[in-house]
Amino acid sequence: MRLLVVEDNAQLSQLLAKGLGIAGYETDLLATAAEARDALLTTSYAAVILDLGLPDGDGLSILRELRHRKDPTPVLVLTARGGLQDRVNGLRSGADDYLVKPFALEELVARLEAQLRRPGQQLGSSLHIANLEFDLRNRQASIDDQPQVLSSRETAVLELLMRSKGRVVSKKQVEDHIFGLSGDVASNAVEVYVHRLRKQLSDKGAKVQIHTIRGVGYLIAEEKRDPV
Amino acid sequence: MIRFKSIISRIVILHVIAVAITSILMSLALSWLLNHATTNLHNDAMEEQAASVAHHLVPQADGRLSLALPPDLQGLYSQPYGRYSYAVVDEHGKPLFSSLKDQAPIFPSDPRAAAVQFLDTRSGGAAISGASIRRTVGDTTVWVQAAEDMANRDVLIDDIVEDFYKNVGWITLPILLVLLVTDIAIFRRALLPLRQASEIAQEIGPSRTDVRLPLNEIPSEVRPLVSAINQALDRLDQGFRVQREFTADAAHELRTPLSILRTRVETLDDPRIAKALHLDIEAMSRVVGQLLDIAELEAFTIDPSETADAQGACAEVAEFIAPLALEQGREIALLGVSTPVWVKGNAEMMKRAIRNLAENAIKHAPPDTVVEFIVEENGTVKVQDRGPGIADEERELIFQRFWRRDRNQQGSTGLGLSIVQRIVELHGASIAVENRVLGGAQFSLHFIAADKTA
Repeated sequence: MRLLVVEDNAQLSQLLAKGLGIAGYETDLLATAAEARDALLTTSYAAVILDLGLPDGDGLSILRELRHRKDPTPVLVLTARGGLQDRVNGLRSGADDYLVKPFALEELVARLEAQLRRPGQQLGSSLHIANLEFDLRNRQASIDDQPQVLSSRETAVLELLMRSKGRVVSKKQVEDHIFGLSGDVASNAVEVYVHRLRKQLSDKGAKVQIHTIRGVGYLIAEEKRDPV
Repeated sequence: MIRFKSIISRIVILHVIAVAITSILMSLALSWLLNHATTNLHNDAMEEQAASVAHHLVPQADGRLSLALPPDLQGLYSQPYGRYSYAVVDEHGKPLFSSLKDQAPIFPSDPRAAAVQFLDTRSGGAAISGASIRRTVGDTTVWVQAAEDMANRDVLIDDIVEDFYKNVGWITLPILLVLLVTDIAIFRRALLPLRQASEIAQEIGPSRTDVRLPLNEIPSEVRPLVSAINQALDRLDQGFRVQREFTADAAHELRTPLSILRTRVETLDDPRIAKALHLDIEAMSRVVGQLLDIAELEAFTIDPSETADAQGACAEVAEFIAPLALEQGREIALLGVSTPVWVKGNAEMMKRAIRNLAENAIKHAPPDTVVEFIVEENGTVKVQDRGPGIADEERELIFQRFWRRDRNQQGSTGLGLSIVQRIVELHGASIAVENRVLGGAQFSLHFIAADKTA
């Protein structure tokens, strides 16, 4: 799968290419906004990693042009500024995700994969946490390669949590995801499904834990043997 | 020296003083002129009377003079109260004719005197004023004197003087007052652009450095001052901009090399070295991030009309920080109101403050405890932990930059709480630190509630 990396710092872009290469991606490295513009007009990439501070212009303008053409290529923005307007502007201009420098390569790859797994994107296989696997194509969960039987609501909750691995999924998101706009959700419905799912997973020996963040939502993570 | 608070009061007070002085001087001048005019009138009348008496002096054959006054003149001088009198005196001072009973001259005559003299004398307590003229009738030179008893002065003239004060004198004061009011109106109008400029100037604050005072309406006398203020504002604005640009550049220049370092370390072959270096880089990144936050806060301003949802900000921070907390064996809980709580302020900055408090709490909380966020309806956000709490003597110290209880603690910069405090200051909010009854610390941020419609 080929990615476009637009980053003006040669060292960083070489290192990104190396790291992404290890993760199994091929990369094209460009250092200026003008080159990136031309490349995006002629070539179709699986995703674009875009630095906002380019010598010949703002990375955001490239992003806006891309979205103006209705090009759905996922764009992951890199920015030196963690703050404020930059971030908001980035997402408003059509970025799918952003990472603040300095970032962990691992996180970059994880975020990239999250983007590539979105509906319509190229990475369609499966999600893993410890011994738990979720196949996105047939929506099948397996523990230690043993397919598990889960209700459709439990499957929906698990899929949502696993797609957002390492991040909190708000209770509202879960509600929206499993009940859609049908309304009439019992206030504890989500708790009930999460509870059942949690029980099922632990009964079947999955080494994962679904954490409840009170007042916020849920998070799935690898089970910790002994907390630090 | 009297100090005036406003130009208008200065004008009014000085003008009132000027009006008072002017009206006194004007009255004095007018009364002097009036007296002068009446005296002249009197003197002219007396001279005329003397001349008309002299007209009736007739030389006799023996060289002596005879006086034959017509009846109307005789009537004038024979009034019972003796208001007017005449006398004709020869060159030796000897009276020839006189309307007075004792046939005495009215004024002692002086041969060397001028042809016309105006004289005053007193007779039996009465002030007598009149004229003496020299006449030569035939071969004889005589002085014809005519006088008026001032006690019985012509009533008409007195009336005029009196009327003058009543009618004319009192008119000057209202006129001067009208002038004063007009002047005040003129000055107020002239100062109007200055007042408008002041109103505009009041809008200038740290968050509105783009405001400039309008020059076109300003009077040329004050224009240099206004231009100087505008230039000062330009420099201020420039300073803020330079600081913001510096922060942006510094962020880029510091974070890009850190990214390179981090990525390089992550692709190292030896995972043990990589892990150790990774922790160092994490710590370094935190310091850089917080220093940049502080630099940004120095030049950051909040639009007074900006509002943010404190509950939403807390929820976002909780979401963001929960995975990190879980990784370290601490839990996060968001309690209190679950609907938006609108407060005055900038959402991003509020999140930074709450995040710093949360990171602080997670750092000090014992494993397997819960760090709680509590949002209250009134705009208060509390962050509680079950850590050691904060000793009384440290309550001030913890907000100082680079202060740390344990200077060897890894990953602690001592900047977090100073960032929180700066953000609190920017929001006009307040922060309180307490120890919880069952152990642990509680930080409360009190934001100013905003209208929900905003």
